[in-house]
Amino acid sequence: MKKPEKPFAFRGKYLFLTVLLFYAVLFLINSPSALLALQKSWNVLTKILPILAIVIFVTALINYFLQPKKIAKHLGQDSGINGWLWALAAGVISHGPMYAWYSLLEDLRSHGMKDELVVVFFASRAIKVPLLPVMVDYFGLLFTILLSFYMLFGALLQGLCMKLLQVKKD
Amino acid sequence: MKSPAKTPQRPTFLLVLGKSSRSFLAMTPLLLGVMGLVGLFQVLVTPEMLASLFQDNPLLDTLIGTLSGAISAGNPIVSYLIGGELVEQGISLYAVSAFILSWVTLGLIQLPAEIEVFGGRFTLYRNILSLVFTMLIAGATTLTLQLLT
Repeated sequence: MKKPEKPFAFRGKYLFLTVLLFYAVLFLINSPSALLALQKSWNVLTKILPILAIVIFVTALINYFLQPKKIAKHLGQDSGINGWLWALAAGVISHGPMYAWYSLLEDLRSHGMKDELVVVFFASRAIKVPLLPVMVDYFGLLFTILLSFYMLFGALLQGLCMKLLQVKKD
Repeated sequence: MKSPAKTPQRPTFLLVLGKSSRSFLAMTPLLLGVMGLVGLFQVLVTPEMLASLFQDNPLLDTLIGTLSGAISAGNPIVSYLIGGELVEQGISLYAVSAFILSWVTLGLIQLPAEIEVFGGRFTLYRNILSLVFTMLIAGATTLTLQLLT
């Protein structure tokens, strides 16, 4: 049977209202800081918009070409080692802040993506490929190589720990 | 004559794109709330405030580095700039590694959004794991670096 579509509803309304309240209080106490904060938030928004557009497009592509069964095969219970490697690679190449990817991951999760793979994705995002030269410049090549290696290894271990926690919960 | 078997109609790409956009639109207040918090933290938490937190104790500094990275927000390149300044001020590499790592993997200001999307249990597990591993990775990186140089 076809799943009934969820009715449209805005999410995070209370968070948004709380933040508005913070800004209102800051405007009363220190309006230059509030204006500066608002400007910085605007800068974040304008920087993140192209990334959000890409995420929407990628979500649509995945939903169009990959049926839920296929997604479950690549990232679900029977995905095996490939699922881990997909999550690791996707985390490394993903761009922008973590919250930009929430919608796509929520969608994949509803199609069967395992929680441990979501953890691997988030953990491996610590490696920012375009920023590696900057890291080398600030901290040296050896530091960058070591940190990147431990981050990848740590991402897999975190996924494994999540899997063990899930098993214990069940 | 046998009638052909009915196959379910595949939705057009535009329809799927519209559906994805709609689910993203529903998240707008959540994302705007997080971005608003990012702006507030960038103004209210300065690099000088962060530098003053460190105590010259590797273990404690690693924890402080992790927590201060978790409450900070913004482009990761900013964490490298602050990290570079901290190293110049004599803060240990344990603390600085933990700081730049937790800047990306932990996020206090996005916690409400993460709980809303993934649920409380998942968010709790993920963040505890990330906190512990940030400290372990910072320790392992600095120790290995000291051994190799």
